[in-house]
Amino acid sequence: MSFKTTFIGAVEIGTSKIVALVGEYTGREIVIIGCGECASRGVIKGAVVDYRAATECTQSALELAERDANEKIDHVYLSQTGAHLEGFYNEASLNVKAADNMIEKDDIRTVCELAKAKDLPLGRMVVHHIRRPFRVDGRLVPTSPENLVGQKLEVGYWTVHGQEQRLADNIHVIRGFNLEVSELVLSSLASGHMVTSLEERQNGVLAIDIGAGTTDYVLYRNGVPHTTGVVAVGGGHLTNDVSIGLRLTWEQAEKLKLRFGRAVVQARDKAEKVWLDGNFSIGDRQFPRQAIEQITAARAWELLEVVKRRLGHAFAPETCAGGVVLTGGAAKLPALAMCAAKVFGTAARLGEAPSWVNENLRDPGYHTALGTLYYGVSVQGDRGAAGRGRGGFLQSVTRLFAST
Amino acid sequence: MPETRTWRDIPQQVRPRAMSREGRRRVTLAAIRGAVGAAVLGAAAWGAWEISAVLRENPSSLPDSAKSDRVKSLVLVTDGVLDKNWLARTLAIPSNATLMGLDMIKLRSRVLADAQVSSATIVRNFPDTLTVRISERSPVARLMAQSSGEQPRMLLVSRDGVVFEGAGFDPAMVASLPWLDGVKLVRRGAAITPIDGMAAVAGLLASAKLEAEGLYRTWQVVSLARLASDGEIEVHTRGGMRVVFGTNEDYLRQIARLDLLIDDSSDPTRPLREVNLALGSQVPVAYGTAAPTLGDPAPAPGGAAPVRPSISLPAFSDLHADANREL
Repeated sequence: MSFKTTFIGAVEIGTSKIVALVGEYTGREIVIIGCGECASRGVIKGAVVDYRAATECTQSALELAERDANEKIDHVYLSQTGAHLEGFYNEASLNVKAADNMIEKDDIRTVCELAKAKDLPLGRMVVHHIRRPFRVDGRLVPTSPENLVGQKLEVGYWTVHGQEQRLADNIHVIRGFNLEVSELVLSSLASGHMVTSLEERQNGVLAIDIGAGTTDYVLYRNGVPHTTGVVAVGGGHLTNDVSIGLRLTWEQAEKLKLRFGRAVVQARDKAEKVWLDGNFSIGDRQFPRQAIEQITAARAWELLEVVKRRLGHAFAPETCAGGVVLTGGAAKLPALAMCAAKVFGTAARLGEAPSWVNENLRDPGYHTALGTLYYGVSVQGDRGAAGRGRGGFLQSVTRLFAST
Repeated sequence: MPETRTWRDIPQQVRPRAMSREGRRRVTLAAIRGAVGAAVLGAAAWGAWEISAVLRENPSSLPDSAKSDRVKSLVLVTDGVLDKNWLARTLAIPSNATLMGLDMIKLRSRVLADAQVSSATIVRNFPDTLTVRISERSPVARLMAQSSGEQPRMLLVSRDGVVFEGAGFDPAMVASLPWLDGVKLVRRGAAITPIDGMAAVAGLLASAKLEAEGLYRTWQVVSLARLASDGEIEVHTRGGMRVVFGTNEDYLRQIARLDLLIDDSSDPTRPLREVNLALGSQVPVAYGTAAPTLGDPAPAPGGAAPVRPSISLPAFSDLHADANREL
């Protein structure tokens, strides 16, 4: 089968920075050939509040990526975050029609449509329908139940929906560059796919992507996303607290947070001081290290507690053998994994990109953009070529990422 | 079931003023690219059209390189008996003619001028071969025609009534064809107009040849004189018998009756002289006094000589005074 090579852009419009990647997709494999990054303006907690500023930043990132790739982008996969994104679970069941109780395609289609059909409030739009495994007479069927024998077929969907205006704003930022958005990818799904393995997702794992303005999380069970969510709190709030607590400007607080912030208090000596700049310049001051650690640790703990509360009964350490995986720019806060382990009562680690990802793109800040490209291609690839082995596709992606 | 709206329902069109300068530049570039592409395609299509028009209307206007190769071989593909010599005679291509210099329409009209050819296709096969594919007419009867001041000559008639001289046919096959009588030939220009009613006659001859070849071989003259007026076809056998067939009844049935009558009238003293099969189940029969003989008419020993059917030579009528002329 012949396939025209396309150049796909993956864009993450974040609160602190905007990342654009360019992937060369040949129908079977994808190679990342360009990357552009720009400090974000006009975006607060994942929502565009200044169209012109956000457009300029996004387009700067896209131009940098195109220049790096030396190719023009054909269409864009856009990652999506923000507190307006919510999810709910809906399931449907169906009595198998055939006299011999053999499940047919029609049964599967009907039960899926039933499970997806739920009225949304006015102004809300579906972003993702995430299917959970089928159940045939209570028996879990991870793949297609076609031709299996049973009396009752059940399926559930986790539906992610968002506010129409917010979604449209993000899309129009890309359209302002005369590029079409061909796929919206939830940030948590994108980064979660990058930092967790297939085995972990099968056993149950919670991926938390802590950005500057928002925290996205996804809980995997049985190999598929079980619950997703967005908390409108991120690394920026830690900076904000340091700024208020120590009476500093935002930039000074950010500098202190990055240098001395910790998710678990380590400093025992209350008298230990750290310099703001450390270069003996005018205005350089000293601050108690323990105070900085206490502020950041308290905020980090609180943030993870919020996530745990949001997950509610969906999360239980015994059903989450893969533990907690942290990613995102703010996840670089030292001892955050230790803090998460205490909060969730399970193992926690800092997420790493797979080994085939180029060294320049291994920073947690790129995981969402990488995952957007990777997840978008796999979703569209599955949609376009039904029947092609997913494993084969993933393997080819893996092989080619390694060559970048 | 409620229809849920997805993000794909969001219209992706944005007003130009909401676009960045780079976005507008990309839109303009895309429009220019589209326009240039359309113009190139249009120009290519127009060029192809012009070239094909030149080729159709005036092949000699082709560049010298295209018409430099001379015709070296003629290939004839036919379903009949015409051969390559006939083709060479008919086309009469000059020895120095080039393949691209040939006027295909004129050549095709030359081939079709022979009424034996029902359809023809002429193809240039580069570099130097001209291939002619023809479909030929097969004769079902023959006739003698004479125009003023000339000797009578034999013409062949096809199933569709087309009269042609016939070239390349086996003489024995031609000799086995019955003669046509009672027809009037009309010339229109250089050709002879097809004979009306030949389809009915051809049907009778084909049925007889297929189902009763023995009888068919005795048929010498088939007259169409009463075909148009009475719907009857008269057949004169070599033995002097006159058989009248009707065109309204199945030929097979009529031939079967004739065969039965001939078998029943085995008395040599009362030979069949006339059989009228055109009246349905009633078959008037007239008997003669001498035994009919098959084959060439020879005087029967001790008996009366068989009556030879008289053949009238058709003359060309002058139906269309300005276009038709007598042979």
